[in-house]
Amino acid sequence: MSDDPRTPNPAAGPSPPGPHYQPAPPDHAAPPAHVQPGSTAKRHVHPVTPLVRVSTYLPALFFFMLIAGGQSILSQPFGIVILIGLTLLISLVVLVYEFLAYRRLAYWFDEDGDLRVQSGVVFHQERRMQLSRLQTVDVNRPLVARVFGFAALRIEVAGAGDSRADLQYLTVAEADALRSEIIARSAGLEHDVGEAPEQPLLVVPTKDLLVSLLLRAATVFLLLATILIVVSTVWVSGWGGIFTVILGGVPLLMVFTEFSQLYNFSVAESPDGMRLRHGLLQTQARTIPPGRVSAVEFVEPLFWRRRGWVRLYVTVAGLAREDDDTGTESVLLPVAPRAVAEELFARIMPGTTPQDVQLQSPPVRVRRRSPIQWRHLAAGVDSQVAVLKRGRVTRRTQIVHHARVQSVRLTQGPWERSLDLASVHLDLPPGRITAVWEHFGLEQAQAMLDDEIVRMRAARASDRSTRWMRDT
Amino acid sequence: MLSDRAVLAGANLARGPKRPTLSDMASKVDVAFRPGGGIWQSLSPKLIVARRLILALFAAVVLIAAIVVAVTPAPRWIPALIAVAAVAILVIGWPWVGRRVRSWGYAERDDDLVVGSGIWFRRLVVVPYGRLQFVDVTAGPLDRAFGLTSVQLHTAAATSDAAIPGLAPEVAAQLRDRLAAKGEQRSAGL
Repeated sequence: MSDDPRTPNPAAGPSPPGPHYQPAPPDHAAPPAHVQPGSTAKRHVHPVTPLVRVSTYLPALFFFMLIAGGQSILSQPFGIVILIGLTLLISLVVLVYEFLAYRRLAYWFDEDGDLRVQSGVVFHQERRMQLSRLQTVDVNRPLVARVFGFAALRIEVAGAGDSRADLQYLTVAEADALRSEIIARSAGLEHDVGEAPEQPLLVVPTKDLLVSLLLRAATVFLLLATILIVVSTVWVSGWGGIFTVILGGVPLLMVFTEFSQLYNFSVAESPDGMRLRHGLLQTQARTIPPGRVSAVEFVEPLFWRRRGWVRLYVTVAGLAREDDDTGTESVLLPVAPRAVAEELFARIMPGTTPQDVQLQSPPVRVRRRSPIQWRHLAAGVDSQVAVLKRGRVTRRTQIVHHARVQSVRLTQGPWERSLDLASVHLDLPPGRITAVWEHFGLEQAQAMLDDEIVRMRAARASDRSTRWMRDT
Repeated sequence: MLSDRAVLAGANLARGPKRPTLSDMASKVDVAFRPGGGIWQSLSPKLIVARRLILALFAAVVLIAAIVVAVTPAPRWIPALIAVAAVAILVIGWPWVGRRVRSWGYAERDDDLVVGSGIWFRRLVVVPYGRLQFVDVTAGPLDRAFGLTSVQLHTAAATSDAAIPGLAPEVAAQLRDRLAAKGEQRSAGL
């Protein structure tokens, strides 16, 4: 892509922001004087933390005791006194634990400018948060903390699973100052999305969306199940009627939920990236930053193929949230004719030509491992992307950027071993797409793994974007 | 002509007969899951002791359950079955724990860390240093009693899951620092 060398050390200093990124606001660049920027001394959260934390669960504890103890305790003389006494006793134990946790919790900036957080009473843990990968810093003020004038800081670096650190509690001023310091240290990539001009690309017609949702195999099975439930309850009748309404409603509700989330799906291109807007009851807006796409998946369910429809999923680091249970956050395009989807793909992964990639197939013996989809397994690579194909009922084609693959894995289960097969996994940031070259010959898989390692390294070296900040 | 035939014969030999023997296959698998390019390190043997202790404790709990049931007026065969289960756990688990721990290994190569593990489900994880986000070094109470520490590598992918359990604390700390240094050097964008 580009032949200019990458910044070797991201912690060394801020890189010049890209053309669409505005420099950090001055109040972020200069933290208040009392923070002593550059200090690497260990810092602790506020000493009142154990008390605040205990008082957050005190009411819940009391009510739990009240319900658990119930009538028997209250009917005794001094019942309420005993209850309060017990609650306080437990609180005291919790307080001791919280005090130990407070003593253990420390944070500081190391020589490299990264944040280190030490925690854990029983399991000691020291975590290094690489600030060049900072995702968000939130100052949260839960109710009880707010009453006492405290705030909690949540720091999240781009990463899967538990990639965050919670600092509870700091005074509001401390929290704000620390937040500014962390953002300043993370190389001042904080930027406003602003109102960049955007050019609408497409809107998914409501009729197509509805038909596509109803034509999915999963939906068809759900409807069959619904009919089965309705018929069987009509036979039984009586109380069954209520269950019919409830159970029969579930599949319809699922279809409706997805419909309402993906309703009026529009895609627009702006300098910040691809803007996606959708939703009936609650409108969602997302921006996919340019050049941050890890992978795109073309999905073709069985009943869509006659119409030539495809759905596109996308994986972008940091875009999929943990609370995204429906997976709609990963949808790049709910349904569209293939040509439209390919045009959008060309815009979201510019400069890649997956259609020209030479594909290879697993050996014929793979039909004993995957009798249904074996003809549809395929793999290929070029210097930019890896292509993965699988699935027979629902065909999936995945295009993965070598430069965004996080790690690679070679795996082999007992069944695969008996057939001398192995699979190669390309690990991507969290999202809908799991990229696996399934069931290739062991030597073939080994060669693919070694080849992918080399290609990943080459792609990373020529990759221009060494840093990235989530749009919020 | 002669050399061509020799190559062909060699290729046939390398590919082997249609159904390779089990030992052929095992060595081939070992080669695939233990690639070169670095020195393979194994876990601390103390981890075997620690895990066997847990196994023995578990078996003991099951055995106690058998004794407790034997006291109750339940049919005789129930406590007997539980006791047999306890013995089976110990007899099968004991060597299995050893194999499982010994199956684990890691190697620091020039550009990546490779971690291999598993007996039935074999896996080899290759994590480029530039992809490391943070490295966790953890030690639970039992680990600490045995002087063991675990190192867990984190990338932006949840599925990477490269964990190296059961290292000596110094080894773990040194590994962490080396990984952190190499990660900084080669840090790449997402």
